Amino acid sequence: MKSKTPINDSFRAIADPTRRAVLDLLSEGEWKVNDLVGRFRMTQPAMSQHLRVLKQAGLVNSRRAGRERLYRIRPDQLKPIADWVGQYERFWKRKLRGLGEFLEKEK
Amino acid sequence: MSFDVVLEQTYPYPPERVWRALTDSDALGQWLMPNDFEARVGHKFQFRSKPMPGWRGFVECEVIEVVAPLRLAYTWLGDADWQEPTIVRWTLEPIEGGTRLRLEHSNLQEPWGRELQAMLSQGWKKMIAEKIVRVMEQFESVAGG
Repeated sequence: MKSKTPINDSFRAIADPTRRAVLDLLSEGEWKVNDLVGRFRMTQPAMSQHLRVLKQAGLVNSRRAGRERLYRIRPDQLKPIADWVGQYERFWKRKLRGLGEFLEKEK
Repeated sequence: MSFDVVLEQTYPYPPERVWRALTDSDALGQWLMPNDFEARVGHKFQFRSKPMPGWRGFVECEVIEVVAPLRLAYTWLGDADWQEPTIVRWTLEPIEGGTRLRLEHSNLQEPWGRELQAMLSQGWKKMIAEKIVRVMEQFESVAGG
């Protein structure tokens, strides 16, 4: 059982909240590894590990530009999963907004 | 395999106010869903909404932690075929000028457990084409409450 299936990798990739947040950012465009490191306030090796998992899962691509490595998502691979996992996230975001409105109104 | 949803939101009101909105049944009904909640460990209650195709229309819950006005947790069983309940956990932190509210919805693994098994055995493309749409529809109706 040394090799993992790509499908297994996809699920491992999106099971982690940090990696989902990285995917969210990459959905806006290409990001340099160093900028991601700054944004998430984690070490470069930790971020590289997350990116490696995402790449192995086929969810992101990378390219070299000079000394930098740039990452971007592969939307074709990602969309169905993102929609699927995001359902509850969207549900609760809506409800938390509703809570804010309720508190405001109750004042 | 399970997923967690973790969200944080700050509100310009003291924790006691936010706590009341989370634990008063009428208040809770106004921003979340109608319910028969009581802030008592072991109390079983339901959130009720309109039944829809793919969703029975209510969530079964049991209170598992009450520490006023800081921590509240209950189980959350969205549908009868979920293999185990998920956990909804609220944490209130007093901050300058208000409250930081943290929501964790953990152990989210159904209703897609069987779908995942099917995916692993049948392959990704087929899964997306045929089954994910159905799972997403289920979620939309659960989330639609």
